[in-house]
Amino acid sequence: LTSIDESIDDILDALSEKKVGREELEKHLKRFLEYGVPLDHAKETLIKKFGGSRVLIKDLKPDQRNITLICRVININQREITVRGETRKIFYGILGDESGTVPFTAWKDFEIEKGDVVEISNACAREWGGNIKLSLGERTTIKITDEALPEAQPTECKVKDLRPGLGAIEIVARILKMEERQVEVGDQRKNVYSGVLGDETGKAQFTSWHDFELKEGDVIKISGGYIKSWKGIPQLIFDEKATVERLDSSVISEKSIKTQRLPLHELVEKRGALDVEVEGTVIDIRKGSGLIDRCPECNRVLREGKCSIHGDVEGITDLRIKLVMDDGTGAVGGILGREVTEKLLGKSFEELKTEKSYDKIIEKMNNLLFSQRLVLQGNALGDEFGTTIIARDAKIVDIDVEAESRKLFEELEEL
Amino acid sequence: MKRREPAWRVFAGEYNDSTVEIRGGEKTPSYIVTPLGGKINRLFLVGVLTDVENVSEGGEFLRAHVSDPTGVFTLYSGQYQKDATDQLLNIEVPSFIGVIGKIRTFVPEEGSMYLSIRPEVVRELDVEARNRWIIETCVQTKHRIGAIIEGMKMNPPNVYDLRKLGYSRDLSEGVVTALKNYGEIDIEKYLSLIRESLHYITPQEWKRKMGSEEIENLILETIKEVEGDEGAAWDLIVEKCQKKGIDENTIEEALTSLMDKGYIFEPVLGTIKST
Repeated sequence: LTSIDESIDDILDALSEKKVGREELEKHLKRFLEYGVPLDHAKETLIKKFGGSRVLIKDLKPDQRNITLICRVININQREITVRGETRKIFYGILGDESGTVPFTAWKDFEIEKGDVVEISNACAREWGGNIKLSLGERTTIKITDEALPEAQPTECKVKDLRPGLGAIEIVARILKMEERQVEVGDQRKNVYSGVLGDETGKAQFTSWHDFELKEGDVIKISGGYIKSWKGIPQLIFDEKATVERLDSSVISEKSIKTQRLPLHELVEKRGALDVEVEGTVIDIRKGSGLIDRCPECNRVLREGKCSIHGDVEGITDLRIKLVMDDGTGAVGGILGREVTEKLLGKSFEELKTEKSYDKIIEKMNNLLFSQRLVLQGNALGDEFGTTIIARDAKIVDIDVEAESRKLFEELEEL
Repeated sequence: MKRREPAWRVFAGEYNDSTVEIRGGEKTPSYIVTPLGGKINRLFLVGVLTDVENVSEGGEFLRAHVSDPTGVFTLYSGQYQKDATDQLLNIEVPSFIGVIGKIRTFVPEEGSMYLSIRPEVVRELDVEARNRWIIETCVQTKHRIGAIIEGMKMNPPNVYDLRKLGYSRDLSEGVVTALKNYGEIDIEKYLSLIRESLHYITPQEWKRKMGSEEIENLILETIKEVEGDEGAAWDLIVEKCQKKGIDENTIEEALTSLMDKGYIFEPVLGTIKST
């Protein structure tokens, strides 16, 4: 009996206009079940029957099921994953309707392509990284229609909001770096224009497949791009279908471009980011810190005197710190190269090289850094082992215990 | 993607109150959920190493205790935590130490759970490191209290809305689990853990910055603020003064002194009135 109640809830959830009451639905559903119609099919039929059930993307809620959407495939990619030892092909990308866009994952090949307008039935919405994601599974059906669908209204974004799966965005940003190169697409050579853009909330990479004659220092409004990511670093992709409007360069001055600062759980969830600043406590100095030997050919770190590519080589000594930083909400790795390490330790590479024992240098690093609050700046890269900051600068934070505790007392008062 | 579990900052007083465990499987980690919604697999603590003893007859299996302002953490370290075990054997008692460790639970019977820690990293630290940890742990405990209060306002408490308020996924999930499992959560208790802990690093500061006369004036003002015609309850005065950052001993000392000087009196036992 409860399953009937739950099913009715599901049906009601899926209907955007509640033209039908519980009792009537129950009557219909029971009827179907008496005739031995499988529950799922009965539900589906009733949702269709009391139709008008199309949901707009902006109204999607987590854990909503049996969703019907009419939308456009903004982009679609495929990837192979391994589930319990079995390799499967999955598809992911972005869907959009006139109300907004949503990232999706399709667990089988629905034979849909970029640009198709589709009617999707029986999809479900999940919460993922604090945002909605659409899941298209075995029970989902997709029909390509030739219905005219208005273009998605672009969503205004700041750089810090960019995340993979966003489509049809509108952003105002300053071009910080710009480069033109040629790539081969199929058997064609194409020019691509890529670089770094930024606003007062952070920096991101971009790639344009069309020559908008962008120059460093330009401040532009781009409408109609979408976001991909490389190692978690967001990349804004756009082409000739996007509109690019030039604004006065004072709208975003060079000075107002900020390095994004965020708590570690957010960074770990994004997996990566271009040029960020994070703060946390050093809770481990890892193996591979201190004096290391690098391959003269490829710069890889040698293991027991051997390079994994070039074999036995005469190594070049280098210095670095590999650490784990943790702020209580998340943990990231940090790699501090020679210059940053010298600055933190207050000792030059030459001085450290004269140390007899490598362990002593590690002990020095531990004494200086373990349990200390550190600020790291650099690019954050996400891979299968987690997120690592390649530090271009590092600073120990001086904590004024007294001031902090007075501040806390005051805040407790307000709670 | 493999995720490194964050190292939670949590006082012994909160950690040891936990009775909810989320058991992991082969590939998923286990967690304990504290009454404030900490969903903990790993933690970072700094406290005083008070004793270390070998509890295994044959090999080496150490039990150690680390005290913080609110209670005591129990550590168990054996041959698989060689570095940590060596450190515990070599550090003198008492000393400040920092520990990174994983949760360890023992359930002798349904409904009761003993919590300890299996250390991964142990290092000797100084009093400054201990003070920094107290501040950090106070801030994060307060953050969890805020999250629990937000969760209580929701019907039903849910991860999605908590995340929209900016809480991490772990904490949001922990808060929902805590509210489901702990019934009434004594928030006042954890607020006072924070206050008590702050006193560890501030009472000397109060005495140095404020002469006893200034403290007495502050307390007298507080009494005048809260007393009615019948005076004010002793406990209420202590509570109000504690909120201003004065520790209980100092308050009691000052009250006695004010009474001796005749600024206040006790019309009935447990009630104070200014003259």
